[in-house]
Amino acid sequence: MTRFRTIDLLVTVLIGAAFGVAFLGYGQLYTLIGPLTAAFKPAEGLLAGLWFLPAILAGLIVRRPGAALLAEMIAAIVSMLLGSQWGWGTAISGLMQGGGVELAFLAFRYRRFTLPVAMLGGVLSALLEWGWEKFAYYQEMSWTFSFLMLAFFLLSGALLCGALGWVITRALVATGALDALPAGREAALQAQPAAPSGGSESPATTGTRGSADRGTGPGPSQKADA
Amino acid sequence: MPDSTPHPAALRLEHLTWQPLTRREPTIDAVDLEIPAGQRVLLAGASGSGKSTVLRALAGLLDPEDGHLAGTQPVPGRPGDHGLLLQNPLHALVGASIGRDTAFGPENAALPRPEIHESTARALEAAQVDLDAERVPLDASGGQQQRIALAGALALDPAVLLLDEPTSMLDADTAAAVRAQILQAADGLTLVVADHQLEPWLPVVDRVVVLGKHARILADGPPGEVTGALTELQRVPPAREHRPSRSAAGSDGDVVLRLADAAIARKGAGRDERPLVEHLDLELRTERLHALIGPSGAGKSTVLEEVVGRCSPGQVALVPQNPEHSFLATTVAEEVGDETLVERAGLAELAAANPYRLSGGEQRRLAIAAALAQAPRLLVLDEPTVGLDAPRRAAVLELLSSAAADGCAVLVASHDPEVIAAADAVTRLPAPPPATVGAVPDRSISPVRQEPRIPADALNPLTLSLIGILAAIGSFAVQTWQGGLLALLPVLLLGPLAIRTWGGGLLRLLPISLSAAGLAWTTALLGDAPALSGQAWLVGLKEATRITMFVAPGVLALGSVDPTALGDALGGRLRWPARPVAASVAALVRTGHLGRQWQIIVRTRTLRGLGTPRSPRLLAGATFALLVDALRGAEQQALAMDARGFAAATRRTWALPSPLGRADLLGTGIALGLLIWPWVAEHLVR
Repeated sequence: MTRFRTIDLLVTVLIGAAFGVAFLGYGQLYTLIGPLTAAFKPAEGLLAGLWFLPAILAGLIVRRPGAALLAEMIAAIVSMLLGSQWGWGTAISGLMQGGGVELAFLAFRYRRFTLPVAMLGGVLSALLEWGWEKFAYYQEMSWTFSFLMLAFFLLSGALLCGALGWVITRALVATGALDALPAGREAALQAQPAAPSGGSESPATTGTRGSADRGTGPGPSQKADA
Repeated sequence: MPDSTPHPAALRLEHLTWQPLTRREPTIDAVDLEIPAGQRVLLAGASGSGKSTVLRALAGLLDPEDGHLAGTQPVPGRPGDHGLLLQNPLHALVGASIGRDTAFGPENAALPRPEIHESTARALEAAQVDLDAERVPLDASGGQQQRIALAGALALDPAVLLLDEPTSMLDADTAAAVRAQILQAADGLTLVVADHQLEPWLPVVDRVVVLGKHARILADGPPGEVTGALTELQRVPPAREHRPSRSAAGSDGDVVLRLADAAIARKGAGRDERPLVEHLDLELRTERLHALIGPSGAGKSTVLEEVVGRCSPGQVALVPQNPEHSFLATTVAEEVGDETLVERAGLAELAAANPYRLSGGEQRRLAIAAALAQAPRLLVLDEPTVGLDAPRRAAVLELLSSAAADGCAVLVASHDPEVIAAADAVTRLPAPPPATVGAVPDRSISPVRQEPRIPADALNPLTLSLIGILAAIGSFAVQTWQGGLLALLPVLLLGPLAIRTWGGGLLRLLPISLSAAGLAWTTALLGDAPALSGQAWLVGLKEATRITMFVAPGVLALGSVDPTALGDALGGRLRWPARPVAASVAALVRTGHLGRQWQIIVRTRTLRGLGTPRSPRLLAGATFALLVDALRGAEQQALAMDARGFAAATRRTWALPSPLGRADLLGTGIALGLLIWPWVAEHLVR
């Protein structure tokens, strides 16, 4: 499962590109909490986890070494080319954020794709990204405030990246958009433990929906992950 | 390798069974099909009979990692031997320019550069693409896009052409033209077409294969001998409810919106550009089904946008071309929120199903029901019947007619003759003027050119990157506000060399200035010095100059980098792994398209009353819809790319070189200068 098929590659890079585009729309979120962050910059860390989403989603969906890092790098490059305010700093951020998630999956040798691992990924990303931002942007911020910011980063990484990413992946599995990918296949296999071994006799139609051209996939209520 | 004489190949499925891991029944069940070299075959069958999957098998692209495969699928003799055209040409497009797009296959086949250029020009000629090769494929009209996709397949000199509903998204005239061009290009090749539209193909094929459930072959023979099975296929079930005749009711309806002699410009058009649509008269009345027709590129979607924009929100509901763009709930019942409407759309049995799991026809009816649940005065739909077979088209049309009968004004942009026939009023937009008037299009592959030319364009993307990276490293030498200001001097002097227009340059610099100001403020407030004291502000100023030095050179230099040239540099010159680089370029080329999808998604949701474009709930739903769109597209795109030999393209070539010249030597000097200058500046101010 280490070789990237074309679909794995494309899903990875398109997750990155889609988030690169969506992030432009997210600029609006910062105006929402603008008054709060103007008075108290560390509060911005509360939204940090959102930026790590491409990495966690690609990791959870494609399940191949390097997917998380590649998706986050593409999202960063899209932002950079469209004129992000941090220039090449964005690329380093992509490396830190994608790398953090990648480390979490690596620690479990790309065999576990559960909620706790996803949250660990978010936390590691937050730690690395905070380190980079402290070094590059907030050198002069006092350590008291810096550590407060770290606390916000870690919380956001665990929830907005790890937990939210895991929830989104499950919701995506339910749509059928992941049927050709490891995350979608695993869900289907759990839903039908006695899969036929390639024979031509078709199992009786269990719960066929009306879906004519998208077929008889597992229903939306099926569990996506352990 | 290039050889213009056709050399068709035979195709054979031997007792093929295919069951995707995520399905409970096989999509293809023990099918035997033998197609002699050079034969022209039409695959017919209802939606869901597995036509597309059979084409995929004939292309040799069923992936054993995705399902259980038994029997044999034909294996193409070489990459691109079995060319494949998909229903939506958008999925086939990978290049930033038409030339680069067509060159994608030859690059994957690792042809030497002169041969890439030769086969690209030949393929563009054969597919009769009548746009210059430097144009952007994603901006071309639907008909041109399908021709570009055809050129992409022809560039690999295929022995077999496999077509999946290649003209279903085009208006009748364009479809006929594209069909004729495909047949001309396929002369002498083995040809297999899957389509719902049977009539146009019947006179030109040697054989018709009618598929039933699980792709089992129901009938197989020359067109004249399978008429029984074909008639059965096109039978439309009788309408469930008879729609009341409006003339009998005697009502004229109320005017919801009137456009008189309107001129409508393309979105994002320049000030001196001619309007896309001129002298448009349109009167939308309640109880009426209005059709807006015209060839692709005539501006139907632009007119729809204008109409929606002129209505007050709450009055108008929009059903986008891709119904998934509007979905927000996890069940059909929640999506509509009105039991009678669910029933009227014929979805009662599916009330608990996930909207994204429905078939194409069901999704369209669901999106319409959800839009009607808002009780709009005006219902606007973009191509609601595209890609559906006859019974499913009829069901959608029935739903629209009954909405009109209930007092809604309905406006449908469509090229479907059945919609036009059922409409009470038809507005036709004239064809846009042809892009190139009589001129022979330029078929040579050239780098993407951005206008106006600037000195920075002379530099290789690698040099431009180096300037940004070294300047960012150099910025860490800034220790004082005086040193910081002095360090910025060369950036100020060199900046204009990388700016295309003053407006664009300022737009790129604005976010930097804002974040530098923000950093100064934060530092003055939360630094070690007493908050907002004079000393704290000076530290803040130092930080602002440092961060500007860190970011500005990179942002300015990146402004002139083009993703395709960057890919050529990383893949062709630095020899980074070819497939990830090429896939990344394809994704970057698509960001403009994804941006347009994002706008449609956000607008549809705003109209559904889900909040403003800055509400977190709306943004979350929109992100999810964009992800589903990208993921579904990825599956089709992967198919199109693998049919062009991408799967094995670990050692591909690149159509254009990534030259390093004398200018790059100068650029490297600038990069090194920016690396050490902040350090020198600090010493000068001490």
